[in-house]
Amino acid sequence: MHTDNIVTTDVLIIGGGPAGLATAIHLADLLNKGQVSKRILLIEKGASIGSHILSGAIVKSCVFRELLSEKGYQNIPFDSEVKKDAVVWLGRNWKIKIPFHPPYMGNKGNKVASLGQLCRYLATVAEEKGVEIYSGFSVNELLFENNRLSGVKTNDTGLNHEGKPMENFQEGTTVKADLIVFAEGSRGTMTGQLKDRFQLMKDSNEQMYSLGCKELWQIPEGRICAGEVYHTMGFPLSHNEFGGGFVYGLKDNKLALGLVVGLDYQDPTFDVHHAFQIWKTHPFIRHLLQGGRLLEYGAKTLPEGGYYALPKLYVDHGLIVGDAAGFLAMPALKGIHLAVHSGMLAAQTAFKALQADDFSEKTLSRYAEDVKKSKIGKELYAVRNVRQAFADGLFWGGIQFATQYISGGAGFRGRLKSEADHKRTKKIKEWKGKTFQQRFKDYFDFDKVITFDKVTDVYYSHTHYDEQQVPHLKIKDPVLFNEINIEQYGAPCRYFCPAECYELHIDKNGHREIRLHSENCMQCKTCDIKSPENAITWCLPNGDNGPEYQYM
Amino acid sequence: MSLTIISLIKQVPLPSEMKMGEDGLMERSKAKSIINIDCQYALEAGLQLKKQYPDARLLVCSMGPPSFETSLRKAMAMGYDDAYLLSDRKLGGSDTFATGLALASLLRYLGFSNQSNDPFIVLAGRQTSDGDTAHVPSQVAANLGIPQATFVEKINVTDAAFVLAKRIIEGGYQQMKLPVPCVISLTPTGIPPRKPSLFGMIKARNKKVNMLSVNDIHLDTTYVGISGSPTIVVKVVDMLSERQPVAMMQGNNEKEKVEKLLLALNEKNNTQQKEETTTHEKIEHPGFPIKDIRGEHRGIFTWAELTDKGISRSSLELLGVARDLANQLNENTKITTLLIGDEVNAFADELIAYGSDEVITVEDNRLKEYMILPFASVFSSLIKERKPEIALFAATTSGRELAPRIAVSTGSGITADCTKLEIGEYVNKKEQLIIKPILHSNRPTYGESKLATILGFKFPQISTARPGTFEMPPKDNTRKGVISTYTPQWNPSDFCVEILQTHRGDSGLQSLFEAEIIVAGGRGAVSDNLQMVKDLAHAFQANGIAADWAASRAVVDDGYAEYARQVGQTGKTVRPKIYIAVGISGAIQHIAGIKEAGKIVAIDRNPKAPIFKYADYGIVGEYRDILPELIEQVKAWKLN
Repeated sequence: MHTDNIVTTDVLIIGGGPAGLATAIHLADLLNKGQVSKRILLIEKGASIGSHILSGAIVKSCVFRELLSEKGYQNIPFDSEVKKDAVVWLGRNWKIKIPFHPPYMGNKGNKVASLGQLCRYLATVAEEKGVEIYSGFSVNELLFENNRLSGVKTNDTGLNHEGKPMENFQEGTTVKADLIVFAEGSRGTMTGQLKDRFQLMKDSNEQMYSLGCKELWQIPEGRICAGEVYHTMGFPLSHNEFGGGFVYGLKDNKLALGLVVGLDYQDPTFDVHHAFQIWKTHPFIRHLLQGGRLLEYGAKTLPEGGYYALPKLYVDHGLIVGDAAGFLAMPALKGIHLAVHSGMLAAQTAFKALQADDFSEKTLSRYAEDVKKSKIGKELYAVRNVRQAFADGLFWGGIQFATQYISGGAGFRGRLKSEADHKRTKKIKEWKGKTFQQRFKDYFDFDKVITFDKVTDVYYSHTHYDEQQVPHLKIKDPVLFNEINIEQYGAPCRYFCPAECYELHIDKNGHREIRLHSENCMQCKTCDIKSPENAITWCLPNGDNGPEYQYM
Repeated sequence: MSLTIISLIKQVPLPSEMKMGEDGLMERSKAKSIINIDCQYALEAGLQLKKQYPDARLLVCSMGPPSFETSLRKAMAMGYDDAYLLSDRKLGGSDTFATGLALASLLRYLGFSNQSNDPFIVLAGRQTSDGDTAHVPSQVAANLGIPQATFVEKINVTDAAFVLAKRIIEGGYQQMKLPVPCVISLTPTGIPPRKPSLFGMIKARNKKVNMLSVNDIHLDTTYVGISGSPTIVVKVVDMLSERQPVAMMQGNNEKEKVEKLLLALNEKNNTQQKEETTTHEKIEHPGFPIKDIRGEHRGIFTWAELTDKGISRSSLELLGVARDLANQLNENTKITTLLIGDEVNAFADELIAYGSDEVITVEDNRLKEYMILPFASVFSSLIKERKPEIALFAATTSGRELAPRIAVSTGSGITADCTKLEIGEYVNKKEQLIIKPILHSNRPTYGESKLATILGFKFPQISTARPGTFEMPPKDNTRKGVISTYTPQWNPSDFCVEILQTHRGDSGLQSLFEAEIIVAGGRGAVSDNLQMVKDLAHAFQANGIAADWAASRAVVDDGYAEYARQVGQTGKTVRPKIYIAVGISGAIQHIAGIKEAGKIVAIDRNPKAPIFKYADYGIVGEYRDILPELIEQVKAWKLN
């Protein structure tokens, strides 16, 4: 190995989202206050901080008062304050405003924000405090010494499609660190490898995910106020599909809207992107969009398994924070404050470890205890069984949710188990009743005014990929994939992927095959989560690739 | 002393983000900046040389606002040792002439010129995506007084004393050997630029970019910015497309879609309705006096470029537009064509038949092939002697390096790749004058969305004309003209560059202009190395149709096709009856090259590809599925 291609740091943070940045900021503060000089390096795979960040977003802002100084807090570029907040039940052509807020869903005093903007701001704060931020680099290898985490390596670049080095080959850089903080976000690949290697999910439920598709619109004046927010339930989801829509009025006549659906749905033809488009045709939504224009599109998954799906949060030399760990309070649909909070707690433990120069599990376990005792622990514990219950459908889920609410989270069945999302999908033959595709067959003619096909939407995510690299979407066994995923399940990948990375091609002889379009990928990782038999692996593409979200 | 490699780079808006807004205007405000793609290839070429010469010093230089520092730092992250940025408000408004001079002055200041004892190589990108002139490398070389090779794909260096360069020429390529020091401009066809490593980025973050001002490099301020620029942009107008909306071929499978397409191609409707809407804005005539600033400069010079097949078509096209200009100027305006080479007298009559009034031949047995140094030297001496008011070159790879090199020696402004040339006037409000007559050189700019009008105030006014844009003049074998010979005083250094080998493909330029049907492949059609695209063209040929295949810039850049087959900006404009674009997304530059086609067919798997906005007929699908069917059905098809 090239000796001049190694970087050494005290702390390495993988991921420049709210969790990673909060870790960086709080740790830098503690170090500065303690007059300890340590190097903090943060690596982000997006072209710049915020490029890969997508959220609704409604933010519980108080946590930022703890993270930042008063002046720092005042400068946060929130979009607006929540002024009007309602939950609406949608039927095909009607709506009912629910006269109260379902538990945990009230948003009074919260802020509407572009999480990307927020992260860009946090990055400037972190850099002012001495954190070194490098964006545009993917980490795709964990390094170990004596089975202890010792560092990471960034992607080799200048590889052809087969992975052979070309003339412009650049070996990835090795980063050696005493402490590595995993802040990769939902379904983080390195976090996943760490979980597998050290069996961090041994005592946990399977993580469950949702997929959210979001668009940002410019709309005519007067349709909705900045800070006016709606959450919708019902149309176009059936009682077997758990999820709902959101509509957030932003300043300057912009509108953020999206649909979030649990990936534990069973219908092999269900398509979150298409459901989102159909949802937009409801008169309530259509009225808001008419005459406006699409500005941006994006998609991301959310870890919803909650308390019981949290992994062990530490290993020797490593901590896991934010969505990578699964800190998301499902009924409130909020994880940003938990991400920030977990980052701060991790920073406190990291500070102790740096002072003691001891990065063993024993020292780092303090983080897990702090999490449990903290507001995060309490918030997640109270709703520990909610998401699992809704796997039984909206009706049973609702009843259980009610009993859980009364009983402080336990419900009448105690700890509820969960099943991995990819195991929930039914085979075509096993599916009873109408499929999603049949139910909405008259809706798929997208007008490119209000509704958009996936490829058009992807165009609005400004996604780009280096041509020279190993395609990052991998079908583990193409033969089995054809037999099982295509023939038995009807190629659900073409439906669940919100970016049309998977195209089912049927030639004139009727032969069916999947064609991969990795260059559309918005890095939501749904395929890694939802493919039957776990047949698809999402790998890390080159850094600096993927979407370029501006105000998502 | 060891070798120094100097890369010249420019920071530009990301080309893919240079798109048109709903108002038809270029949205540049939000565009992210990158190192110009061609310049990235130059940077990589330098880094490759570093493998061969580990002691070589790598410098990166640029001229522009302080924000260019980002790109210079990125170059250092890729592996460059030091960076210099010439940044000064006084440089604002510089045209290519002033830019070439300023950059050359920067290099001189850093100790690099034809007087240097230590070997150095200057690498540059072929052209920038925002300016697209390809002038600056030539102008830097001319100002430093060193040899050059432009449009180069690949270089090798031997003994740190010679550069072996593979240069693209019309219809093929040339291997040449240049002595060091020299300037090389690279096309994006060589080794793709590396991504900086994290290690490189961390190292570069702490490095300093050396900022220099005009004063720092001892450059007289009258030679920079607007005062140092012989040309000005007087007008920029939007270019609009006037095609009907696309008709998409629907069907249950490839067979049905192809059947529908072939039927549609023989229908009369949906063809382009061309309307020449020449919106001549009347310039205000405030009654200023008219001033003729040409002095003793009269007449038009053109260059007759030779290929192995005789005078190149684009040089004949020049005679048509030259005649129009001559007529607009004055009936006595003479068109003089320079014919340089080995045994070239035989071609003189043909030039006269196409419109030259005088052909000046220069013969030398060392000039079997075009070589920039002797050609530039002959041209410059003849211009000084004959004093033409206009000099025209075809915007081929040779024309685009020769013209700027000549312009440096005559002090002229130069306009690249023009699509419209006419004689007009210029109202100088400040000095209350109307300057007349003056050449209005119009060229597409901002990625073909606008047409800029550029005027030059130094004579001769030099322009290069885009091949295929101007119509061929009629041939009249009875025309009379003068044929004269000229014997230049050669400088030994004129022949310091050696041409080792010239390779020309079997077709290319010529046949594309004459084809009735062109099948062109883009990035979406390369998984079989364009074989199906070629097969389709051959299927048409087998059916007795004049057909040929072509390629998009991206595909040529990737090395799947030779430069001569490139259609689009910096390539050529073609006018077939039917143009079939396969797997071409439809960058505006490409559209510009095909908008004169009768019918445009687009085949692409992405229904959202911009090409469908410009096409007459479209099929959405994978080319691997559509083309075999099309090839099959073409066999039994006739073009009406």
